[in-house]
Amino acid sequence: MVDNQSIYLALAITLFIIGAVGAICRRNAIVVFMCIEIMLAGVGIAFVTFSSANHSLDGIFMVIFVMAVAAAEAAVGLAIFLLMYRKLGTIDLDKFNLLKW
Amino acid sequence: MELVFLLICGGVAVIASLLVIFARSTLHSALWMVLSFFMIAVVYVLLQAQFLAMLQVIVYAGAIMMFIIYAIMMLNLRQESRQKTGARISKIIGVGSLIVLFLELMLVSLGNNLTPIPGPVSEKLVATYGRMAVISNFLFSDYLLPFEVVSILLTAGVVGAVVLAKRER
Amino acid sequence: MFDYIWLVPVFPAIGVLINGLLGRRIEAINKNLIHWIACGVIALSFIVTCTIFYQLLQLPAAERLHQVTCFTWIHSGVLKTYVAYQIDPLSMMMAMFVIGIGFLIHVYSIGYMDGDPGRYYRFFVYLNLFMFSMINLILANNYLLMFLGWEGVGLCSYLLIGFWFEEEANAVAGKKAFITNRVGDFAFLIGMFLLFTGLGEHGVWSLQFDKVFTHVHLLTSSQATAICLLFFIGCTAKSAQIPLYVWLPDAMAGPTPVSALIHAATMVTSGVYMITRSNILFSMSPLAMGVVATVGAMTALFAASIGLVQNDIKKVLAYSTVSQLGYMFLGLGVGAFAAGMFHVLTHAFFKALLFLGSGAVIHSMHHAYHKVHSHDDAQDMRNMGGLRSKTPITYWTFLIGTLAISGIPGFSGFFSKDEILWQAYSSPQGHWLLWLIGAVAAGMTAFYMFRLVFMTFFNDCRAGEAAEHIHESPATMTVPLCVLAFLAAVGGYLGVPHALGGSNLFEHFLEPIMGMGDGKLLQDAATAVAHGAHHVVHAAGETMHAAAGHVAETVHTAAHAAAGHAEVEAHHGGHQPLWLEYLLMVISVALACGGIFIAYMLYIVKREIPAALAEKYAFIHRLLLNKWYIDELYDVVIISPLRGFSYFLWKGIDVGVVDYIVNGVARIVGWGSTAVRYMQSGYVQSYAVSVVFGTVVLLAYYFLKAL
Repeated sequence: MVDNQSIYLALAITLFIIGAVGAICRRNAIVVFMCIEIMLAGVGIAFVTFSSANHSLDGIFMVIFVMAVAAAEAAVGLAIFLLMYRKLGTIDLDKFNLLKW
Repeated sequence: MELVFLLICGGVAVIASLLVIFARSTLHSALWMVLSFFMIAVVYVLLQAQFLAMLQVIVYAGAIMMFIIYAIMMLNLRQESRQKTGARISKIIGVGSLIVLFLELMLVSLGNNLTPIPGPVSEKLVATYGRMAVISNFLFSDYLLPFEVVSILLTAGVVGAVVLAKRER
Repeated sequence: MFDYIWLVPVFPAIGVLINGLLGRRIEAINKNLIHWIACGVIALSFIVTCTIFYQLLQLPAAERLHQVTCFTWIHSGVLKTYVAYQIDPLSMMMAMFVIGIGFLIHVYSIGYMDGDPGRYYRFFVYLNLFMFSMINLILANNYLLMFLGWEGVGLCSYLLIGFWFEEEANAVAGKKAFITNRVGDFAFLIGMFLLFTGLGEHGVWSLQFDKVFTHVHLLTSSQATAICLLFFIGCTAKSAQIPLYVWLPDAMAGPTPVSALIHAATMVTSGVYMITRSNILFSMSPLAMGVVATVGAMTALFAASIGLVQNDIKKVLAYSTVSQLGYMFLGLGVGAFAAGMFHVLTHAFFKALLFLGSGAVIHSMHHAYHKVHSHDDAQDMRNMGGLRSKTPITYWTFLIGTLAISGIPGFSGFFSKDEILWQAYSSPQGHWLLWLIGAVAAGMTAFYMFRLVFMTFFNDCRAGEAAEHIHESPATMTVPLCVLAFLAAVGGYLGVPHALGGSNLFEHFLEPIMGMGDGKLLQDAATAVAHGAHHVVHAAGETMHAAAGHVAETVHTAAHAAAGHAEVEAHHGGHQPLWLEYLLMVISVALACGGIFIAYMLYIVKREIPAALAEKYAFIHRLLLNKWYIDELYDVVIISPLRGFSYFLWKGIDVGVVDYIVNGVARIVGWGSTAVRYMQSGYVQSYAVSVVFGTVVLLAYYFLKAL
């Protein structure tokens, strides 16, 4: 019989992989950004699971800081999308390959 | 009881996430994502991390999602174009390796019986002070420096966003 | 006071720092400050040295060894070297005369370098730096610090030879000196390595003199020979012996005070000093001693023969320096270390005097030519003559120096040279042939030195209209001349030999550092013989083994007895009769007087003869004038092949192979990069795929490992 902890971990992994698939396949930058948030949420669940299993707060703090960083990232990232949109009229990631060889 | 809640909320979260990546409209994606985040907040509660659940609702489902929706409105985005592009092969490789990764991670976390290493926060401690008190205690002693650094980071993020998004004249 | 020995090298270093860093500004303010500082630091150094020397004399002879460790210099693995100074009779004797003469020459330079604005301070910086290095060389208590000084004086020599580097010949001479010295330094270095590892095998990881010399018996005789020969090669470069003497005559391109200080009195004798310092080591290797003596004698004769016909006043003195250095090595090679050092001392006095005298002559000539705007060679003796009345002080002091170097009884050169010649004949390693070469060279020395004096100071002046402008040099130049003339005249009385009723103070003073004399050498030889006998008998058969041991023991005992006997005899002044010593003395003096007489006849009485002789024996004359074509020989035998080989290395190996490989690697990398650069597509998501793919591979690796 699978215990609760394994289910939490399975949930975390599933969310992470779904987010990663979206981040790789979707071309809309904002959707990609959201997918990354999903990945972070998956990681957060794994952190908290281990944290409660180990009677430690480290995982929880990690998630708190990840949230803070994600907030900052959202601010800067959306500003960048705004700029990109202004320059090129689109935020389709497949249209951006300026940084090649 | 916990298991039932877990299965329901986890299932909803997974389905909502799938809908995020499959939704045609960006706005729909964002709304599905809000649902997913709420469900994840419930999962946090189930994991005895009420504080995180609150943060999840306030910060993610509230602030960041508002932010994203606002951006979507502002950029006036509709649907992705469906034309094929050069990065197609790499995306196929990427999805393939993600499936492998999924299997690998599942094998690791379910196949092995993980033994916990008992940390400093025992049930007794939590029972004496309450979970929030313990967290804030640690946050303002052991984690004070990262906490302050994060505050600087947030300030820098705000300034950076303003500088980037400001219209040049 | 002994503990303040570090002040001696530090003072010149301070002079170097002050004048070297601020010299340009000081010179702009007041030129006199420069030489006040430079001479002042040497004077302070000299005062400290004198005090320590005086205190050393107060001690009984057995206790005259003191070591002062300043700080750890190099500590790496088993090698631990200190900057440490050794106070003993040898080092203090050297320090006394090096710093003393150095001070006089500093003073002399004030006058000599007066007309060289802009580089005045640099000259004194180099001189002070030289003094610093030389003092380190002398006072060091280990080979490594000695080597530091050894290299330092080589550097200063290079800098000062090429001091007037605007003329290419001077710069070339500097390079020649430096490169020739590198050859010797290399050998010295290898010798040190051998010594270090050779003793290290027995657990004595040290290059400190006292430790080396107390454990030197641990070396095998072939090791000792190799080390000694390598050290001697170092000496042949530094002290201008065959085959590496070629740089010294060219080194006369430098200012004359430099020639006097570095290339006559002090630096070139450091080879002699080094061998005397290592006398215990050299005593272990009769072969190396023989090489030293032979090379010394050959050099003495060879250089003297070249000196016979040179016309440049400084070249003559340069060859005489080479020749006199040959004498010193002859003395060392026959085991008369004290006599060799004694000649170093007296030679320093009279050769410094001669060089400074010639410098005064050149200075006067140069000024006279300058007045009449002539560009004739101020150093060519054919342009001189009759300077006796114009520069009386220079003449008289120069004459004293000449008498001293010629070995006229009563002057310093006589005592030291005769001691060496006597030892060359009488000591166990000596040979009558060595004596004969030395004596002939002595006669030649007297001839060419008086030739120089007669050509320079007698007859009529050949300088043309410049003649009336020739006048005596300033006091800063003549005072050192007088002091040195006094020393050159009386310096020899420090070491009057037993045969002349003296007590040979000098030899007794140096006795403590001569670890083991001839007796020890014989004993070693006897031990070697005993070992040889042992091996021979051992080879004869297993059954005779016991007998072999017995025989070897007997021979050993006998050898010990013989050694003891020899030691006793050596103590009593050798086993040669006293009349023989007088006879040899008379012969060498007679040869010297003969040389003077011939010079008198040829250059005063019948002045047409030399030209006629040169005509008649044109081949020999040309041979000598061109220095036996040794430079040309080296050019053909060594330099050209080396050049060709280097050219081959450049074009064949460096360009052909090394560069080809380097460029090839670069080209391969270039091709590879062109191929893989398409991986960098510029699409963000394909980078994300790379990350995912990498993660999968890594995890898979750990999975497979866990399985």
